[in-house]
Amino acid sequence: MLATVVTKTFLDRWKGVAIGAVSLAVLFFFGMAVYRDIDLSVYTDLPEVLRAVMNIPGDADVGALAYGAIYSTYGALTLASLALSMGSASIAGEERRGTIGLLLGNPKSRTHVLVSKAVNILLLSAVGIGILWLAGIVVPEMLSVDVTGIELGALMVHMFVIAVFHGFLAMAVGAWTGKNSLASGVAAAVMVISLFAVGLLPLIESLESGVKAFPWYYYVGSNPHINGIDWGHLSVLIVGIGLLAAMSVVGVNRRDLRGQTTRVSLVDRLRANPMTQKVVDRLAGSARVSRIWIKTASENQGILIVVSYVMFLMMGLLIGPMYTFIDETLVRLTDAFPEELIAMFGGGDMSTPEGFYQLETFGLMTPIAFMVVTVSIGARALAGEEANRTMGLLLANPIKRSTVVLEKTLAMVVQAAIVAAALFAGVVGGSMIGGLGMSPGRIAAATALGMLLGLVFGALALTLSAATGRTRVAIFGTVGVALALYVANGFLPFAEGLEGLAEFTPFHYYLSSNPLMNGMDWGHAAVLATAFAVLVAIAVTLFDRRDLRQSA
Amino acid sequence: MTDNAAIHTEALTKHYGDVKALVDLDLDIRPGEVFGFLGPNGAGKTTMIRTILDEIRPTSGSASILGMDTHLQSVEIREHIGYVPGDLAMYPNLTGRDTLTYFANLRGGVDWSFVDTLAERLGADLTKKVGDLSSGNRQKVGLIQAFMNRPKVLVMDEPSSGLDPLVQREFQTMMREVAADGRTVFLSSHTLSEVQRVADRVGIIRQGHLIAVEGVSELRSKAIRTVNLFFDEPVDGAVFGGLPGVREVSVENHHVTLSFDGQMETLLKVVTEQYSLLDITTQEADLEEIFLTYYEEVRA
Repeated sequence: MLATVVTKTFLDRWKGVAIGAVSLAVLFFFGMAVYRDIDLSVYTDLPEVLRAVMNIPGDADVGALAYGAIYSTYGALTLASLALSMGSASIAGEERRGTIGLLLGNPKSRTHVLVSKAVNILLLSAVGIGILWLAGIVVPEMLSVDVTGIELGALMVHMFVIAVFHGFLAMAVGAWTGKNSLASGVAAAVMVISLFAVGLLPLIESLESGVKAFPWYYYVGSNPHINGIDWGHLSVLIVGIGLLAAMSVVGVNRRDLRGQTTRVSLVDRLRANPMTQKVVDRLAGSARVSRIWIKTASENQGILIVVSYVMFLMMGLLIGPMYTFIDETLVRLTDAFPEELIAMFGGGDMSTPEGFYQLETFGLMTPIAFMVVTVSIGARALAGEEANRTMGLLLANPIKRSTVVLEKTLAMVVQAAIVAAALFAGVVGGSMIGGLGMSPGRIAAATALGMLLGLVFGALALTLSAATGRTRVAIFGTVGVALALYVANGFLPFAEGLEGLAEFTPFHYYLSSNPLMNGMDWGHAAVLATAFAVLVAIAVTLFDRRDLRQSA
Repeated sequence: MTDNAAIHTEALTKHYGDVKALVDLDLDIRPGEVFGFLGPNGAGKTTMIRTILDEIRPTSGSASILGMDTHLQSVEIREHIGYVPGDLAMYPNLTGRDTLTYFANLRGGVDWSFVDTLAERLGADLTKKVGDLSSGNRQKVGLIQAFMNRPKVLVMDEPSSGLDPLVQREFQTMMREVAADGRTVFLSSHTLSEVQRVADRVGIIRQGHLIAVEGVSELRSKAIRTVNLFFDEPVDGAVFGGLPGVREVSVENHHVTLSFDGQMETLLKVVTEQYSLLDITTQEADLEEIFLTYYEEVRA
């Protein structure tokens, strides 16, 4: 039984882990290749505090930089995220799918099931670490970079333990509450907050020792990639893992298991209330199901609200006043950053408000925000209904398959437009509050290009979804392609002889014309719009030809 | 035949890689009949239905509904179709009424008083979210969805699953009403008793092959009978196996049960020669036995 559950979960999950680890290895390769070619003195000349945050030792060499900046942070974030998604799915996920009853219909205890799930977190984290370890040895060989003095093994051991810690944290919350999203939410929040705390708290003298309250400190605080394994720190995490495991066992055994239910939302409560019933019924009921695209858009509104809120307030409104607080010295400091590094974050000259907005808001966050919305609709649009077995019912109505694809596309465009409106309003507002005097027309241009970029990747997800009927393929495929193109767009302009290749990435048509300074580049907009239209047309054709899948 | 057939297939074939899910299926279903499509799990019933609804495309052969090609004119066809998929799934976050509104909107409207009548007849609760309903109650929403537009052709894949006996009976009445109205019901099922009660004709499918199509009444008149023989001593089953007309034998001590379509005289002669017969009862075979008989023939 134990072996059976372990094997099943392992087979369900290993691909995700392998893809995550291999992507990191590729990122590591690119990172090391760039660090090899640039003058590292820009790093070593940085003030000590800043170097501490960035995890760069005073005598930094290529190896230390690549391992410290890329592997230790991104690697741990990725593996810990994968582990926590496994942890939250272990008990709570089976409850939500309604499969836990079936599983426990077998003559094995809840503890048995829990233990086998826990074994999986350990196993799969080990697989991920194995791939990263291998890449950590092979990549420097390929690039002939000298990495003596780097304690790769120690870093990997630390990384394994921190990943497992977050996995077990999610498992414990899930075991106590049976709530999948709560479990992953809590664990992810702990991870992100402690990552930032470890970076920022040491800068504030009176709070310096506060970092010891955060798990991430025991992962990276001792700089394992330089100083080797810190058994004291590790044992703190290992004890934590043990406690969480014990808590999980107690939690899962003491409560009633949840059945498969739908969530009760605020709207449901309003619909049940006689005072509000009529209005809400109209809005949430008949209006929501009036068209395919409206229904699709309404299903994705949770993500839309979060993304719009973040882009409006945090990435838009607040950046303006923040700019006015920036110290002159920081501006000069960033001037000293290598161009390649700035390019990684979308470029931008920090001495102007436009440049600051480009670096903070438009460079990395805007494409991500648009893509979160468009890719999630695009990937689930067709494959999602097939996996949920509702596509057959939908297509029993007198509508063409192409109509379904186009309506789903419309939902994607509408949602992207809402994000665009929020971002535009936020940046214009931020510029006004900060008295920066940025041109609304140029802000609109950058926003529109960002929206088009997001739609291109949304359409790619839609095409993969239409071609395969598999949501996972559509999401991982699109994210993989987007990541590769983003990195390529950042690095290619600096690679001799390959500069021209950047023009083949959609990202080139987003910011290379510097729309915040120069306004709309209609040629670039046309390239993105054409790519979008072509991908949608391909999606329509592929979906029309294919046999529908019967189930997931 | 094609022009006035409700559903017509010609050498319809569907392969999934090496698996032959459907082989040269020729079928004509008339307007105004309830057609029972019988077969065990995995026989190809769902593949056939998904093919004629253009969810999947035939490897070879063709099909038409109401004289229209199922692929080329699929959208027009679907104006006239009601469909209940096997293993029905719907949108868990919508209530029953929302779900019906959604499909009604896609069809350009529906007669809501008729929907309410259907809901009342089946005892369906349309105010709850579909995801919170038991599978039987969810099935009711699926049935209403298929019946509500008064379609010319109803295609249903194992539609009675999860329904309690009373609702099943009401559902059967509803199917008969559709047929009485001159419309057509295509009912896939593995529950023989249901088909026996409601269908005019039955098609039997096995491993992708259509084995037989017969009227339910003709099937019964095939004169297969169940014969029960009671003796005063335990008997040897082998004696009966070789007799002409005996299809199946089961022996329990003094009691022998035969599935029999031969001459009663021959049977009695042989039996009374060897044993002392105490009692004999015979009854008309139900569809189940006829069904099994067909399978035996194919296997043999």
